[in-house]
Amino acid sequence: MLTYLRKRIIASALPLVVVIIGVFALARMTGNPAALYLPLNATETMREEFAARNGLDQPLLVQMAQYFGGIFRLDFGTSMRTGQDAAEMALRAFPATLQLAGTTMAIAILLAIVVGSAAAMKPNGILDRCSSFLSMTAASIPDFWLAIVGIWVFAITLGWVPTSGVAGAAAWFLPVATLVMRPFGTLVQVIRGAMVSALSEPYIKLARSKGATEYRVIGKHALRNAAAPGLTVAGDLTVGLVNGAVVVETIFGWPGIGKLMIDSILQRDFAVLQACVLLTAVAIFILNILIDLGYALLDPRVRPSAGARKRRKARAAQGPTQGSEQHTPQLAAASMAADSTRGN
Amino acid sequence: MASLEQAAPAAKAAKAKDGRVSMLTMLLRDRFATAAAVFLVLVVLTAIFGPAVMGERATAQNLMFMNKAPFDPANGWLYILGSDSLGRSVLARMVVATQTTLLVAVPAVLVALIVGSLWGVWAGYHRGRREAVSMRIADIIMSFPSLLLAVVVLFVFSPSAANIVLILAITRIPIYLRTARAESAELQSRTFVDAARTFGTKPNAIILRHVIPVVTPTLLTLATLEFCFVMLAESSLSFLGIGIQPPDVSWGLMVAQGRQYLQTAWWLSILPGLAIVLTAVAANVLAAWMRIATDPAQRWRLELDRKSTKAFEKATRQAAKMQAKKGND
Amino acid sequence: MHNRIARSRRIPLALAASALLGTTALSGCSVANSEEAASGGSSAPSDTLRVVLQQEPPTLEACESNLTSTGVVIRSTITEPLIERNPTSGELEPKLATEWSSKDDKTWTLKLREGVKFHDGSEFTAADAVATIDRAVNSKLGCNVEGYVFGDDDLKLKEVDDYTVEVTAAKKDPILPLRLSFLEVVPEETSATEKVREPIGTGPYKLDDWQAGQSINASAYADYWGEAPEFQKANYQWRSEGSVRAAMITSGEADIATGLSPEDNIGDLGVSYPNNETVALRMHADKAPFDDIRIRRAVNYAIDKESIVASLYGGRDKAAAQLVPSGVVGHSEDLPVWEYNAQKAKDLVAEAKAAGTDVSAPINLVVRTAQFPKIQELAQVIQEQLTQAGLSVNLKMLETSQHLTYQVRPFPTKEDGAIMLMTQHGNQAGDAAFTVDQYMTTKGAQSAFGTPELDKLIAQADAATGDDRQAAFEKVFKYQNDEVVQFAHIAHQTGMLGISQSVAYEPNSSSGDELRLAEVTAAK
Repeated sequence: MLTYLRKRIIASALPLVVVIIGVFALARMTGNPAALYLPLNATETMREEFAARNGLDQPLLVQMAQYFGGIFRLDFGTSMRTGQDAAEMALRAFPATLQLAGTTMAIAILLAIVVGSAAAMKPNGILDRCSSFLSMTAASIPDFWLAIVGIWVFAITLGWVPTSGVAGAAAWFLPVATLVMRPFGTLVQVIRGAMVSALSEPYIKLARSKGATEYRVIGKHALRNAAAPGLTVAGDLTVGLVNGAVVVETIFGWPGIGKLMIDSILQRDFAVLQACVLLTAVAIFILNILIDLGYALLDPRVRPSAGARKRRKARAAQGPTQGSEQHTPQLAAASMAADSTRGN
Repeated sequence: MASLEQAAPAAKAAKAKDGRVSMLTMLLRDRFATAAAVFLVLVVLTAIFGPAVMGERATAQNLMFMNKAPFDPANGWLYILGSDSLGRSVLARMVVATQTTLLVAVPAVLVALIVGSLWGVWAGYHRGRREAVSMRIADIIMSFPSLLLAVVVLFVFSPSAANIVLILAITRIPIYLRTARAESAELQSRTFVDAARTFGTKPNAIILRHVIPVVTPTLLTLATLEFCFVMLAESSLSFLGIGIQPPDVSWGLMVAQGRQYLQTAWWLSILPGLAIVLTAVAANVLAAWMRIATDPAQRWRLELDRKSTKAFEKATRQAAKMQAKKGND
Repeated sequence: MHNRIARSRRIPLALAASALLGTTALSGCSVANSEEAASGGSSAPSDTLRVVLQQEPPTLEACESNLTSTGVVIRSTITEPLIERNPTSGELEPKLATEWSSKDDKTWTLKLREGVKFHDGSEFTAADAVATIDRAVNSKLGCNVEGYVFGDDDLKLKEVDDYTVEVTAAKKDPILPLRLSFLEVVPEETSATEKVREPIGTGPYKLDDWQAGQSINASAYADYWGEAPEFQKANYQWRSEGSVRAAMITSGEADIATGLSPEDNIGDLGVSYPNNETVALRMHADKAPFDDIRIRRAVNYAIDKESIVASLYGGRDKAAAQLVPSGVVGHSEDLPVWEYNAQKAKDLVAEAKAAGTDVSAPINLVVRTAQFPKIQELAQVIQEQLTQAGLSVNLKMLETSQHLTYQVRPFPTKEDGAIMLMTQHGNQAGDAAFTVDQYMTTKGAQSAFGTPELDKLIAQADAATGDDRQAAFEKVFKYQNDEVVQFAHIAHQTGMLGISQSVAYEPNSSSGDELRLAEVTAAK
């Protein structure tokens, strides 16, 4: 497990660098930001001074070298807009986004497992139809509708929660309720679909015939095998939330990283954009490592074992026909063993 | 088990002479799927013929008739869905917008689906290096802010429907890539795949004949859910000016433009949004139906006629009751 | 075997689940980087004035005060200028300077107010005034106010004594005191090499703290030299969504909200006021069809300004004949709004066509998304009206940075067809020179073209004073409309504030640029 982790972390370094370089270059392809920061009647001298102050008059490769040099000194640049340290701005905004994402996904996953499993027990039954329709609708509704209607109903008319802002526990209700709809709806669909397929597998019949209760059948057997697509989609939805729920942050004034990133793109605030992307990229890479560990935990056959590669190589060296002959008994035995453990 | 076998002889499957049920019959068996299919056909027809029929009425401004509420018969049939902030008929605009919306959303989803799925299945089948590299590329695409990509593409080229399709497709590929890879990797060591490999079947043939049919249902479910997301993503891009330019119109652009009026003229945003939701839900219902219709183990649910289905359900309930009693003893 | 696998699976899953729940539980009920203080709840004590802005100020640096999002917080609230312009009368009034005079319009002598203290307790003297002007105008800081108000020229400063300052401009400048009104005074110790995010000023409120991303808190300064404000504390928050700002007023979570419009459902709590912004179309005459003055005149005839103002803007805005609204020195009350005559527009287009101009050449109407309320509707109405006159108009909705490449020199040259830019211009200063120099001279930063005659008239107006100045600028605007026709003016705009029932405040034309909290009182 640890070697796997180590390998993954090392393997993630190069893509991270690619992302940084990509964002760096693409951001500078969007034109000269001077007009956004200088008054409209600024003179040529002022524009030149601005470019020199921000290092924008250098060729791209020089700027990139300076940037990477800065990273090693833990200096990620300064915001052109506010003059603050870019890393400080990104690090300040990120925890708020993580809290929102974590709460939302936790609720969405729990609810989706319960509803999806219940629906899968009787495909095309009433519960299945209702939950399908509701979850599809939930997954399709534009988030700003929910937000604005939610504010109108719960904050203004009923007065139960504040309209926006982050003061107090009640302020979480509307943002989370708005955000949870899409992950919940999507996950219910995915889990239900995978469970329906899993429940028609022969080992389910075997478990039932052995006298397992319905809860055990679903909770222990079917759910585990439906977990792979559910985990992937949950992971992708979390990635989307980690990148920041821009609409929710905009409407509720939640000080998260999504709005910071969008604003820094529109205002061509390169240093802040790069810092934000770096931070979210690291989080996404970590998240994907966790998801892959999750696959391995849930399904023993997917585990990367140290010997597998060596065995594969040895087999290949031996030549095709011989290899396949040896291939069959070994792998057949292994998969039969896997099959037999699965049903229990 | 015993009761299930009892139910089977009672089943009167309407089989054709060759013993297989047609897709159309299976579709008609499922009332919701039928409704969904009819709705989608209507949408496609509107997309094809709408602009020709309603074209002018969608652009006729009338500053004296702005923001009129819908469902008021006094305004005439053209304004049955109300009028927008420039006095144009919302009904006409929605009809004309159908074509643009479908022309953007469908290709975007299809391209992402096909490219992402094939790539993911290939990566999951071969495991090892190919899988690792593919996953890292997926990570890179996911970490990239899509808005930045959109702004850059706009800067270098000019805004057009084709550019939005490209951006939307590229940024959504990872989700299919990762799901397909996960399922494909799980299947790779299953007995039937193994058997095929033993027989010397080429990897591509294995992928095509064995892996793809199994991963398709989940991916289709995802695609229909993505359909809606893509339409809404297009909406925010168009609102920023990176995408559909007025006077062209799409449902997404109408939703975005109507956002500021949500409290005073709700129909401007809600009605096109409803169109998006209903289309996505219909596509989803159809995908769910297809999942059952194409899965040999599940198909029987659609092959039975109504009487047999009722008999079967009754039998299952009795069996479950018997089991519960046994479990309690 | 069964148990072993079950156990090894159970523990990691349990760990994962508890980690998830743990983070959410540990985070408790408070959001990261927020304070528990209920600074936004409706249970706030009534001595706190709560304002909700459209965006967080990027900085509160005093020399960036002409940036709307900065100035709305600090100007005349936390910091103060030497001279202040009265937005209603247009007159310059003493603030930290009690009198000023000049013999030659080049060197000005200012007498400063005594007994003024900064928020850090130090006395205000001429040294502070000199340091303020020096760092804003002469240094390499690149202050926004330098570019906006002063240009490349430096000012020569002399500290005559503790309470007298001499300021010399590079050339004759009759409106130097008006320019000085943009400079907010800071202590002389303020760094001249770095910008300062949180300023020390002399205003009625002092800055308590700035919770980045969340709110700004200020409290009344006990040693303020002038009249103490009514509210002891002030709290600023920001929400980008207009309907949310309106909702905060309606639900009692805020007292004043900026940047609203009727669509935000603010109802009776919305107060509209003329905000010195004017929206106009600028036509670039370098390409067909705008190289023909008849087409430019046709554009002016084709736009039905009155019905736009009545239908899109509820009659709040006013049809415009020039780029500056009333109240600005140089605004001509007698200049008539260009007549709306669709037939005449068509005739002019036909005439131009007959004379050989390519009237079918595409016109690119360049518009910035979300620049002001209903801008998309306005753009589409204009496109429609111009199309009916016989012209061919493409709408280009762009985001801010892209739009700016069309707004300021150098303009894009590779466009297919002529450029028509929708521009919104706000004259905060109250003098037409600030508008005309940029927008109408031949080489002006936001001017597409000019003529030598117009340049001469402008130079004369710039140097004039008093009534002559007013008359000279009126002549400039008339000449533009008659002979140059670079612009098609549309409307002078209004802004809207949301004001809750518990406070009383009269907005004026500068409320959008500086919200003077000291003028807000509790409702009777």
